[in-house]
Amino acid sequence: MNMDRQVIEKALSKPSPYGPDIDLSRYRLGKPEIGEVNELDIDPRLNETLNRVGFRNVNRLSYIQVNESAKYRIMEEYLRKYGVRIIPLRKALDEIDFARKLSWNLIRPDLDKYTAATYLYGGEIGYFIYVPPNVKVPIPIYTCLAITSDEKIQFAHNIVYVDEGAEAHLVTGCAVPHGIRDGLHIGISEFYVGRNARLTFSMIHAWSEKLHVRPRTSVNVEEGGEYVSYYIIYSPVASIQTYPMVRVSRDGKAYLANIVAASGNGIYDIGSKVQLFGNNSSAEIVSRVVARGKSKTYARSAIEAYTSNTKGHIECLGLLLSENAQISSIPVITSKKPGALLSHEAAIGVIAEKELEYLMSRGFTEEEARAILIRGFMSIDVPGIPRSIKIEVNRILDLVTKFAVG
Amino acid sequence: MLLITRNLSVCVEDKEIVHDTNISIDKGELHIIMGPNGSGKSTLLAAIMGLPYTRVCSGTILFDGIDITSMPSYERAKLGIGLAHQNPPEIKGVKFNEIAKAIIKRCSCSDYSMMARILKVDNLLHRDLFVGFSGGEKKRAELFLVMLQSPKLALLDEPDSGVDIESVENIANAIDYLISRNSSIILVTHTGLITNKLSRIDRVHIMIHGKIVYSGYPDEVLPIIMKFGYSKGLEVLRRR
Repeated sequence: MNMDRQVIEKALSKPSPYGPDIDLSRYRLGKPEIGEVNELDIDPRLNETLNRVGFRNVNRLSYIQVNESAKYRIMEEYLRKYGVRIIPLRKALDEIDFARKLSWNLIRPDLDKYTAATYLYGGEIGYFIYVPPNVKVPIPIYTCLAITSDEKIQFAHNIVYVDEGAEAHLVTGCAVPHGIRDGLHIGISEFYVGRNARLTFSMIHAWSEKLHVRPRTSVNVEEGGEYVSYYIIYSPVASIQTYPMVRVSRDGKAYLANIVAASGNGIYDIGSKVQLFGNNSSAEIVSRVVARGKSKTYARSAIEAYTSNTKGHIECLGLLLSENAQISSIPVITSKKPGALLSHEAAIGVIAEKELEYLMSRGFTEEEARAILIRGFMSIDVPGIPRSIKIEVNRILDLVTKFAVG
Repeated sequence: MLLITRNLSVCVEDKEIVHDTNISIDKGELHIIMGPNGSGKSTLLAAIMGLPYTRVCSGTILFDGIDITSMPSYERAKLGIGLAHQNPPEIKGVKFNEIAKAIIKRCSCSDYSMMARILKVDNLLHRDLFVGFSGGEKKRAELFLVMLQSPKLALLDEPDSGVDIESVENIANAIDYLISRNSSIILVTHTGLITNKLSRIDRVHIMIHGKIVYSGYPDEVLPIIMKFGYSKGLEVLRRR
């Protein structure tokens, strides 16, 4: 997108309508770098970080970004035989016309100060993934973004294009190792799902108490396409604010599931919006929040129908595990044409005593029974996620449960 | 004796529901407690299990020589008491097979596939626990979980109410199987439907208004109660 630089610079002082405002001048900027990964170069703390987001094997990763250094590796070679391209975005923007057309096309650089800063100072570090027409990528594509030093801003700008009739499963882990305290992560993601194509995107966040996170995601689903997002955050965080936007065309589908285990003093402002533009398009947004400590969670969900014969449903459920935590559930359904069928349900409660007592009578201690119920509460049958990813997500949900139980 | 309740009175929300009850059951015995709705049968079982909504107002419960009156339910379960609840709660997101696996692991139950066959629960295992189960499915699934605990004492609360004839048959077979494994059983029923399906019953107790008012052998008690009902049946039994 060609936009007047002055307009974007002006946006550097434009706060987001949601979430606490962050003073960007508090953070250091590193020099963006791109390189091929060398095992010896990997920060030893990275393995621990990978573990936090369920990636037990660094060799499976196609792309790693540590702070502002993008590394891509051997898996990329393996995926290339299917015609799949996974390269650092800056390299893609230098070499591929198509990538340039996609960049900053779904998200305006002047949206807010975070997008503006990424556009101006981010150095276009991030990944570019292209899946050619009709290619069903047989293995999940793993990527990881990590922050390993204090007081830094990590920018990431990611573009994924799944071409007509193709299918890909992307798994991204974002994390900091234990001991890292202060920092800011801004991730810009522009996803394109072509005609009759399918993209599943599983993202696992494991941050730390003083880290602020501002992902900005926009997805375009073309005719007959399908986008499935499965987002999990389970660690403490100073604040996270995100509100991904998905535009769905005719016969397209979007399914977004958010699982939030909030803790500490963190502010978790997690939203999802789907706009149904085409006939027979549909959307479902499901969120599960378990909150403890003094955390505050805002679960925002919105479905907007611009055409008749569309369907949308929002389900927001929250579980308060402490006296001082707070959950606000904000589902909004908007219909701009008669004939759209939109619905929502929202409920916030505590663990049902009857269920707890029942499990205890089966021989589970109170702690075990709570863990079983919290784990069950967070279990969502996300459609179309491959079994291998489900197994990993289940492992993560076990971790989330341990974390939520405290 | 495996279980002895001594002058046991049980309160629910400060109201005494079960009064001064004395029951003793030996290893491998099957006792039936019959009585009309609201007579305190379920409260008695809940108190033996230690469910928190009940409170022992007086008396003691001895299990295998240990005073369990103040013990939490999970410790009683670990000692070998298993309760099949009358109305187990539907638990969304928690798979039946996950709970079954956790119990099998804890109780080292080796013949679970045989139990699953007897109770015909194979097709339910992948579902959320009790969610959308029919009456019969609920009872069979609940009894299956109790059986996995390999209980020394199984407390079965109305296993025959609200279920179809075939399920009653399956449940009776499962109870016979439990007995063959030397478990003791206290079975509560208000209809008595299941009693003629069981191959052995040791004692029958009649409970009215929170009290055990009559105890006897099945051949003596069951035909009278099934023929005359509780009020008139008791009169007949007492006249004998």
